[in-house]
Amino acid sequence: MTLPATLLPVAVLLPLGVALWLLAIAHWLPPRIADWTAVAVAAAVALLCAWLARAGLTGPVVQWFGDWTPASSGRPGVVLGISFVADPASAAVAAFAALLFAAALVFAWSRFDDTRSHFQVLMLLFLAAIVGFCLTADLFNLFVWFELMSIAAFALTAYPLGKSSLEGAFNFIITNALASFWMLAGVGLLYARTGTLDMATMGRAVAQLHHDPVLLGGFCLVSVALLTKAAILPLHLWLSDAHAVAPTPVSVVFSGVMVSLGLFGLAKLVAQVFLPSAELTALVHGLLCWLGVATALIAGLMTWAQRHLKRLLAFSTIAHMGVMLIGLSAATPAGFAALLLYLFGHGLVKSVLFMVAGILLALCASADELALYRRGRTRVPAGVAMIGAALLLAGLPIGLLHGADQLITASQPSTLVRVATVLATSLTGAAVLRAAARIFLGWSGAPGAEITAPTEREHEKSQASLWLMLAPCFVLLALALLPERMLAPFLGQAAAGLFAPLHPSALQLSPPALPHESALEQFTPLILAAVLVGAALARRRSTAPLARALVGIETGAFRVLQYVHSGLVADYVAWMVVGLAVFGIAVGESR
Amino acid sequence: MSGSFGSLSFGILPWLIAAWLFAVGLYGIVSSRNYVHLIGCLAVCQSATYVLLLAIGLHRGAGPPIFYDHPPGTRAVDPVVQALVLTDIVVGAAVTALLLAIALQVQKRRGSVDPQALRPLRPTQ
Repeated sequence: MTLPATLLPVAVLLPLGVALWLLAIAHWLPPRIADWTAVAVAAAVALLCAWLARAGLTGPVVQWFGDWTPASSGRPGVVLGISFVADPASAAVAAFAALLFAAALVFAWSRFDDTRSHFQVLMLLFLAAIVGFCLTADLFNLFVWFELMSIAAFALTAYPLGKSSLEGAFNFIITNALASFWMLAGVGLLYARTGTLDMATMGRAVAQLHHDPVLLGGFCLVSVALLTKAAILPLHLWLSDAHAVAPTPVSVVFSGVMVSLGLFGLAKLVAQVFLPSAELTALVHGLLCWLGVATALIAGLMTWAQRHLKRLLAFSTIAHMGVMLIGLSAATPAGFAALLLYLFGHGLVKSVLFMVAGILLALCASADELALYRRGRTRVPAGVAMIGAALLLAGLPIGLLHGADQLITASQPSTLVRVATVLATSLTGAAVLRAAARIFLGWSGAPGAEITAPTEREHEKSQASLWLMLAPCFVLLALALLPERMLAPFLGQAAAGLFAPLHPSALQLSPPALPHESALEQFTPLILAAVLVGAALARRRSTAPLARALVGIETGAFRVLQYVHSGLVADYVAWMVVGLAVFGIAVGESR
Repeated sequence: MSGSFGSLSFGILPWLIAAWLFAVGLYGIVSSRNYVHLIGCLAVCQSATYVLLLAIGLHRGAGPPIFYDHPPGTRAVDPVVQALVLTDIVVGAAVTALLLAIALQVQKRRGSVDPQALRPLRPTQ
């Protein structure tokens, strides 16, 4: 066995093992040791996975546990064992997750001293689950990592034991637990028809099935479950609660990588299991693209109408998941390369923004855009980070996120997709810019729809120095500014590898080419965002009857949207059933 | 191991039971006025999944998948789905425990466990 294949399970075992040891001996350790250990482990996992991604470019890196290889069953086509496969894309996503964890753990330095390293233990458990989720090639194993990831996330959300964080965690657990039941049922249905849980073998069996209702049912249930994790309309309602109330370092990894992993898992399943079936391919192209467009638009509008910074960023994450889903629905290597690049670019930018929100929570004891008015004027570095990241979010034509945006519109050449991505980019970017202008520059204007949004008085204490919180922030911002060309050759190969992880050379490997765009096209989202911010900051209380009528219509429309995002778990579950029904109807129509 | 079409031998009944259990659980979650009751309803939904999985592995006239006193090759139900159910029971127990702990803390802090009265962030107006 080659060295990379031998070291493959270490990427999961290292964080898992260290978490166990920390839990056992943390009582006797000084608190700094737990901080150091956790950061070191996350960094080591990042390096290991990056190395595995590189090794995966030359040939498949596969580990069959207990040597239960497909050949050992003695019957062709029967796979008894479970394997980890480090294809370049999966290993790269795992490495990226570990990098964000290292940054979040540095950011959380000494923040949770009073809880005897339980925070670090949960974070390492979470990291192990994420790496396992990325690397596994077995569908049930994927489900188990998905569950482990969820449980660590549940505990981390409820961790501060505040009123809001408990209720947010409750909504998060109920909705995601339901989703995981659906996933298990879906896995069962797929197993019933294909007789295997190994993804590659399952894909070959799916190719033999035609017009099979059980297969379609399995597809619906598994997709809805993963899309719940990825917060796609109308399954997204839990996310704004969970991300707004979780401790900031946890929100960083939630928004940066956990949510997009739902889409990455679905992309892997589409490439390896669902694409051989023509019916399912049609559903991926049609239904998923429409859901992506709807998510991008609605969540973009919701972002604009928020005042609580973390909740605002949470809605922006939902909007960007919609854009990523559009890339996924192309189901081509180019679309998946766009998805991967978007995952990296968005994860970096969003982590920076959550960290700035965390710094404001620690220093100014609030995350409310209106309550923080002018209170950030002396915090210049934080302001620089927030405005820089906000400009990237609004489509400033440099960096990874912009390259990814272009690739996504190129992978789905339709006007609707173009309009949806531009609107999502500019609305979310404009909302963050508006907040930054109010907090750090002291510009305002009468508040619009955001004044009725939910908010809260809260405070996060931190003994860490400001620079220790700012350092990971600026490192991630610098990474987000990397030119897209640096990653393109790798992503081209990695995306092709997702389709056939065991035979990567079978596919044409070419770096995705960026479409040529005029300067006006490139700057469209940024100009639109600037117009929106300008309008918000120049806004005055309206006295003229016509202006008041217009404001009334605007407030009314946003009030309807706010009403749907009620915060009640019963409503969320009802909407999830609607989501499942949408899938069911689409499947019925397609037959 | 070829547990593919086992469910067909029992007809549509297990599927209907699974669907009914899930619907009942969902109705309970949506209409519940108490966190603890809601957690119970979630467990009902979960058992629907188990019924479905076990139905997938069933064969008419097949015994348990233990070959201690049978010769290998005797007809047996599919052990894979049973392993899946067992794994998920463990996970489900962890989730339920966490939920109950949260319900307890909510009661301590808000003095209520009515999901209709609790929401994470409140609107300002």
